[in-house]
Amino acid sequence: MTAQEVRLCGLLLREHFGEVVEKVGTHLLRGGAQNLRTIIHETGISLDLVKKSLCVLVQHGACVFSSGRKGPGSPTEYRTSCDRILRILRYPRYIYTAKTLYGDTGELIIEELLQRGHMTMSSTVKTVADRLTQNMEEGRCMDYSEVATAFAKLVETHFLQRCPPMVKAGTTGSATPATPATPGTPAAPVSTAPPTPESFPDCYKVPHMTLVGRGKRQLCSEEGEDQRNAKKARMDSQTHGDEGISWQVNFERFHLHFRDQAIISAVANKCDQTSSEILRTMLRMSEVTTSPTATCTKPLSANEIFRSLPTSYNIARPILDQYLTLLVDDPMEFVGKAGESGGGMYVVNLHTALANLARATLESVVQERFGSRSARIFRLLLRKRHLEQKQVEDFAMIPAKEAKDMLYTLLSQNLVQLQEIPKTPDFAPSRTFYLYTVNQLPTARMLLQNCYKTVANLIERRLFESKESKRLLEKSQRIEAILASLQASGAEPEQLTEVEEMITATEKQQLEALRLHINKLDSAENQVDESIFLIESYVTSTASTS
Amino acid sequence: MSEVKLKKETNILDVAELENRIKELCQQFPHGITDQVIQNDMPHLEPQQRAMAINKLLSLGQLDLLRNSSGLLYRMKDTQSNSKMKGSDNQEKLVYQVIEDAGNKGIWSRDIRFKSNLPLTEVNKILKNLESKKLIKAVKSVAASKKKVYMLYNLQPDRSVTGGAWYSDQDFESEFVEVLNQQCFKFLQSKAETARDSKQSPMVQRNSSFATSHEVWKYICELGISKVDLSMDDIETILNTLIYDGKVEMTIIAAKEGTVGSVDGQMKLYRGVNAVIQPTGLVRTPCGLCPVFDDCHEGGEISPSNCIYMTEWLDF
Repeated sequence: MTAQEVRLCGLLLREHFGEVVEKVGTHLLRGGAQNLRTIIHETGISLDLVKKSLCVLVQHGACVFSSGRKGPGSPTEYRTSCDRILRILRYPRYIYTAKTLYGDTGELIIEELLQRGHMTMSSTVKTVADRLTQNMEEGRCMDYSEVATAFAKLVETHFLQRCPPMVKAGTTGSATPATPATPGTPAAPVSTAPPTPESFPDCYKVPHMTLVGRGKRQLCSEEGEDQRNAKKARMDSQTHGDEGISWQVNFERFHLHFRDQAIISAVANKCDQTSSEILRTMLRMSEVTTSPTATCTKPLSANEIFRSLPTSYNIARPILDQYLTLLVDDPMEFVGKAGESGGGMYVVNLHTALANLARATLESVVQERFGSRSARIFRLLLRKRHLEQKQVEDFAMIPAKEAKDMLYTLLSQNLVQLQEIPKTPDFAPSRTFYLYTVNQLPTARMLLQNCYKTVANLIERRLFESKESKRLLEKSQRIEAILASLQASGAEPEQLTEVEEMITATEKQQLEALRLHINKLDSAENQVDESIFLIESYVTSTASTS
Repeated sequence: MSEVKLKKETNILDVAELENRIKELCQQFPHGITDQVIQNDMPHLEPQQRAMAINKLLSLGQLDLLRNSSGLLYRMKDTQSNSKMKGSDNQEKLVYQVIEDAGNKGIWSRDIRFKSNLPLTEVNKILKNLESKKLIKAVKSVAASKKKVYMLYNLQPDRSVTGGAWYSDQDFESEFVEVLNQQCFKFLQSKAETARDSKQSPMVQRNSSFATSHEVWKYICELGISKVDLSMDDIETILNTLIYDGKVEMTIIAAKEGTVGSVDGQMKLYRGVNAVIQPTGLVRTPCGLCPVFDDCHEGGEISPSNCIYMTEWLDF
């Protein structure tokens, strides 16, 4: 993990969990696995606070603990990883995706789970139903069973998964991880990787849950329903049959979905809408059958694809064949042909697609930052691998002087590399070939770091902006509170306007500008996160294949 | 007495005839003839007489003596240049010959010096002389702007010297290239658009969006934006830059021999394509384009809080 990652993690932790957690978290990130005593000693935070912060981190899956490396009996050590903390950046996107796929209920379920780390199904369902009821019109409310169905659907599509059961240190439980005692099995291997949730057979099994009733309204004014309320109160104290099974959001599944979306939208841009719909169908068909790390999907026959196409597209069979041939012929190689049986077998080249998208991202960075001519040189080098300066000038048709300038600028920004090949062992410049080249993977890694820094900068700026207008914000909040209380007590309209006028016009303007700024920064953060996602998946996909 | 006179006369006649015959032979074989050829042609001739005739022709400057792997070669000297070289001394002739040999690639004055073994000042003087007589000309090479190469006055310089259609006065015409680049793209794009609007089956749509390099070439020629004549190769170089711009795709298909625009039974097809992705998120923020990105640290002289680029962007 790099300095940029740690900085970004720190900022994210501060924003979501406060400064103490940030301090503990970054300390753990920098120092690797540590036991409680060391953390307290080195951060200078009181035992109580450190325990609580660790609890928070563990609750959100950002921190794992295992028995010490020095053998049985040594204090429990805590470890945290950047990956999980950086996911916080993507929370809005997860929630938005859940909303588009499963409506408001799905959105709230994911939101609750993200905010609380992990929860049992029953409590999630209850909270979500209550929140939904809260926002509904008077007299209507959300049934628990409906939310439970949505929850089950999310589990079925693997967007949610069970938290891995606590094997080691199981006696302490997740709620009190800070007690540095009892390594569960004395013969535990010294440094086992934390078990992946998928390695448990029940990972996606919805437990039987006895939960009937409806969402409650906090200020429930329905008087005639005492009986049911009473029943519900009784229910709340009851057990629902799913205690001990907590659920978390399956980020990997979301990432697969994002990846598919990225590929689909790329095809829509490159070819046309219909091709993208065909690709969407192919990806949906292979969702279940293809493993997350596979380089390409399982082969699908044209017949199968035809049958699975939604009828609303109105694509005739010969047209589908033509589209598939076109997709195979496309130089981006999103779709490949795997055989002739069944009217032609087709696969989606997932990793190639990711590599192509990452390359397009790199090209777009060069294009926007250094102009289209530099981008021409960059693409040229990507295509032709190694070129001398003279060749670059000739191929790109750029005057020698400008080409030199661009190449050197790209070189100084590490987007282009220079390879020296001496004809004689003395490396005399006159007898050396200087070949320019682009290494996609290292360049992508570098851009990833730049992205992290950019997001950190944006967050920093956002914090700065809100700090600058702290007084103003507080004032407007105070006034809003006064207004609300006045309204509740049924004050005169004159009184209300009087209070409203406490904020001057300029102040209002400032507040408006601040709101705009914050929104802009927020959306920029999400946009950069999309770049991060593409590059990250490309880097991990190449790492897993090579 | 008269007999002797007659013999002498026939001898002289013979010599003149011999010279003419050799010249004829040389004209027949413009690449030059060997001793053997003359001998075969005139078997009755004595070697002495042959040598005399050749020597005379050589001294008159009508014949060139060349050496190749198989021995000596005689070649007819350009009578035209011969007349031009009237009043020049041997050194000048030598330099002229060196330059002539270089052909339309031209030759650098330093190389002339090495080949002719003359001192620098002498060579410079001769070159100036020849230039003023309009026998040779100096051409500036595009490869090195300071380097002048010399070639015969009536020759068209080679592409490697002038740089082809893209150079005028050894300056690269980047604007011209840009205009051609845009025009080619416009052509391909409009073709792709009409194909898309045709509402035909996808295969037909794709195929009709392709244009051969010959079509593009014809279009550019008819537009008349170019003062110089562009060849198909020139247009293909331009189309290649479009490929590197990521705007165009190329495929090669097999074509029937003799089809318009096919080269070696191949035809290059080009078509305009759309970009795969929108500008990526990173470059939509000021940080993605920031020139001082690496120097930016919180609490430093340049920091996100006091960043002027960010302020401008936010107020935009």
